[in-house]
Amino acid sequence: MLAVSSLLAGSMVPQSSAAPGQEASPPVTQAAYVPKDKDERGLWMMADEEERQLRTSNFVIRDPAINAYVRDVLCRTIGQAECAPIRLYVVRTPYFNATSAPNGMIQVWSGLFLRVRNEAQLAAVLAHEYVHYRDRHFLLLWRELRARAGSATFLSMFGLIGSLVAMGQLSTVFSFSRDQESAADSGAVYMLANAGYDTRESALVWGQIRDEADATAAARQAKSRKDKNGGIFATHPPTADRMTALFALSEKVKANGEPVNGVDRYHAMLATLWPSLIDDQIKLNDLGATEFLLASLAGGTWTADLLYARGETYRARGAAGDFEKAAGFYREAMAQAPANPEVRRGLGLSLLRLDSADEGREQLKEYLRLKPDAVDAPMIRMLAGG
Amino acid sequence: MIRRILSFAAAAALLLAPQSATAGWKAIAQGKPIAVAKTGLTVTAPSGVWNRWSLRPSKKSELWTKDGLALNELAFYSGVTSGEPIFREVDKKNSPLPKFNSKMLAPDVVALFEASNRIALKTSLFSVDSVEPAQFVGQPGVRFTFTYSVQNNDLVRKGEARAAVLRGQLYMITFIAPSIYYFDNGIADARAIMDSAVLLPVAAK
Ligand SMILES: [Zn+2]
Repeated sequence: MLAVSSLLAGSMVPQSSAAPGQEASPPVTQAAYVPKDKDERGLWMMADEEERQLRTSNFVIRDPAINAYVRDVLCRTIGQAECAPIRLYVVRTPYFNATSAPNGMIQVWSGLFLRVRNEAQLAAVLAHEYVHYRDRHFLLLWRELRARAGSATFLSMFGLIGSLVAMGQLSTVFSFSRDQESAADSGAVYMLANAGYDTRESALVWGQIRDEADATAAARQAKSRKDKNGGIFATHPPTADRMTALFALSEKVKANGEPVNGVDRYHAMLATLWPSLIDDQIKLNDLGATEFLLASLAGGTWTADLLYARGETYRARGAAGDFEKAAGFYREAMAQAPANPEVRRGLGLSLLRLDSADEGREQLKEYLRLKPDAVDAPMIRMLAGG
Repeated sequence: MIRRILSFAAAAALLLAPQSATAGWKAIAQGKPIAVAKTGLTVTAPSGVWNRWSLRPSKKSELWTKDGLALNELAFYSGVTSGEPIFREVDKKNSPLPKFNSKMLAPDVVALFEASNRIALKTSLFSVDSVEPAQFVGQPGVRFTFTYSVQNNDLVRKGEARAAVLRGQLYMITFIAPSIYYFDNGIADARAIMDSAVLLPVAAK
């Protein structure tokens, strides 16, 4: 149990550095609420340790504008006073999720920004996580877990902290109960209404996630996993029940005045982040989901970046007919952005696989001309015929 | 790299030093040709510091280390055929790995390796840092370098690989180690092993 001692040692290290983009937030242990008993203190300690590691993690996206924006949406939704003790981290993980911890740390995964379509949907997810924290769902869950555990389990063998350490990351190990999930869902709907957002967006986001799971399955010629609880949906299953309940509640609970969804502001604030998130997505070997997400980002207008991403997606899969499709998308991208070297690279490599070697080599030469210091220049030079 | 290929129980066993009797490590003889992954891929270690692990991550791969896989990992992939992933599937239903294809060009093999790692390690912090032509198993192949981290463990790891497609099958050796100290400490040996790689005919079974 080496990790226990390092955990205890870690908690004594002064926590001097704040995550960039949120200097204004107070240090971890000075939140307004203070843990009341031994159980809760144990949970907080564990969460503090997780947060201490996260603060210096390479996985945290530090962009100040994006951090400020996400924080602004959270605070606008849950209220400025409630927002003050919360620390928000945008984490580079290419899946749809957000997590909260007992000490008031909320993590938003970068894959969420490709999937949430407007500010109201982002607000719904953030508010949902806040309710988990505010209503101390971790503590209730922990007590339930301990009550159910027999004397022979590791819970009694290692005690609270040891067990938590053995189980790993708090925010990903725990999955809330159905009741807690619906409490967080409905709590979020009321907050959306208070903040003037369109409450229906809280249900629509789950519909999108279900549609994406269908798209994944269709491209894999497999059965949709939207009603399976495992995998990336382990902590937040996008069930039909959940969506139905949210739609019903959003019919009753509405913003005063004309509800907003903030789609324009959302696009303006996050568009700079998308290219790198799309790059993460297209390397996931999930053509159906990628096509679904690209189409939703395009909204009918296929930019050169999105066409390039489509080309990369089909070229990576490389099934029958995929290189022809990829070449088509690269050509459309090239028409809009003739000086984009990556488009030339993708087109050149596709054409080599299509036995259009002469044109392929020309495109690769053009790539090298546009990007002479590319990391793969020596390899591409050879494929381009010197 | 541990989580990529091994079950949790196997990973726990790895925490033991390679010298430990229980882990199934066997010292590699210095200067003697060794067939890896029970295939024709044959290499010669320049020094007597390497150990091979008796449990192979897949039928077509094998792992060696000097000080423990977390500190220096030499992985051999031998004879991967069209339609096969290069690693063992981690979560096939939710996140299937991409498959090798015998028609892949060198950049495609590099992309396959990158995507396989991103999916198996569940990380987006993976970058390819160089890709250049290189001889491997007596064939024109590719040498590439890369850097990555795994979430909840911010150690930066560096890797260098050599790969070639021969008779429609993929052969590859990768060396991966923490960027601080261990990569520089092990890369010369690893390159010598990659340089020594030949493909010998395997006797019919
Ligand atoms: Zn939840």
